[in-house]
Amino acid sequence: MMEELDLLKKDWKKNENSFEQISEVDIYKMLHKKSSSIVKWIFYISLLELLLGIVINIVLSFTKYDTQSIDLYKKWGVYEFYIVITVLLYAVVLYFIYKFYLNYKKICVIDNTKQLLTTILNTRKVVKNYVIFNLTSFAVIFVTIFSLGFYHIYIDTMLKKGIEHPEISFKVVAISLLIIIIITSVFTFLFWLFYKVLYGILLKRLFRNFNELKKIDL
Amino acid sequence: MSENLEQTFVQQLRENQNIIHKICRLYTSDGDAHKDLFQEITIQLWKAFPKFRGDAKFSTWAYRVALNTAITLYRKSTRSVSTVEYEQHSFFISQEEYNSEEEEQIKLMYQAVHQLNDIEKALVFMYLEDKDYTEIAETLGISEVNARVKMNRIKGKLKKILNP
Repeated sequence: MMEELDLLKKDWKKNENSFEQISEVDIYKMLHKKSSSIVKWIFYISLLELLLGIVINIVLSFTKYDTQSIDLYKKWGVYEFYIVITVLLYAVVLYFIYKFYLNYKKICVIDNTKQLLTTILNTRKVVKNYVIFNLTSFAVIFVTIFSLGFYHIYIDTMLKKGIEHPEISFKVVAISLLIIIIITSVFTFLFWLFYKVLYGILLKRLFRNFNELKKIDL
Repeated sequence: MSENLEQTFVQQLRENQNIIHKICRLYTSDGDAHKDLFQEITIQLWKAFPKFRGDAKFSTWAYRVALNTAITLYRKSTRSVSTVEYEQHSFFISQEEYNSEEEEQIKLMYQAVHQLNDIEKALVFMYLEDKDYTEIAETLGISEVNARVKMNRIKGKLKKILNP
């Protein structure tokens, strides 16, 4: 095979010093510019995702809405359950943040390319798992609360109407549960779609290069 | 970070800047993108510099950081990044210089290399820089045998692009 590449190499070497040189003053200026690296983007977006749930919760806890729902939970007799779940959720979020931080710290530009890509994608995976966890728990809690709410409101209405031992027919339960599940699924699907698009754009190149490296070693 | 460290870094980088220019030449196709990538590589090198130990050559270390930045960290941007303005005349060999048949072929080769993917470009780059397969494999994190195989495939691919 005629080595076209060696022809190129000859030219490459010949023109090695043909680049316009950048002065030390300009290099100094560059050091103080902001990086636009993908890792920085991933870091900020991930941090936002990790903290969003916490921030929303803290903001909500100062509103009237929160006291009202807590009253409701007490009335329904699920207040203890609510506290346990909340503590558990925070613990899991903290765990995810800790894991994210550990992984992020491991990203090292001096690693070999495959290793570097692996650590970046692993860091991202932590957040992905966090989002999956969040969506699942969101869906479960949503369904539970609405079912409970529906049940109690139904019973209350019946009691007001003067029915002493109200019972919900199986049909009503089935239909309302179905509606709640459909609503939850639609919401979850929209979230999932949003993530797919966001990270599709953000991680496309990383995945492409990672897969290319993996393919070489197959 | 101390002034001294900054000064050492800037001086080292100025002396070794052609490494970065060469990577920019392969990974970008116009002057603005070249500047943009050059700046990002400079920032990444600077960020990693405190971990750089004198036992390795600055150039060897810079190769790795620069390639990783081009392959992994750099986001090809459509937005205008604020880059340091510096005078630039000819980052690319002016095309008028190509007249003989050989030079025409070199020009086509450059175009063909630009069509390769990020990883293939990295292999070509290190090949052009006379790096041995041990170093190529080590830099990319693949096995040496497979680096060789891949390089041969790339040669074949380039041939195909040139003689469709």
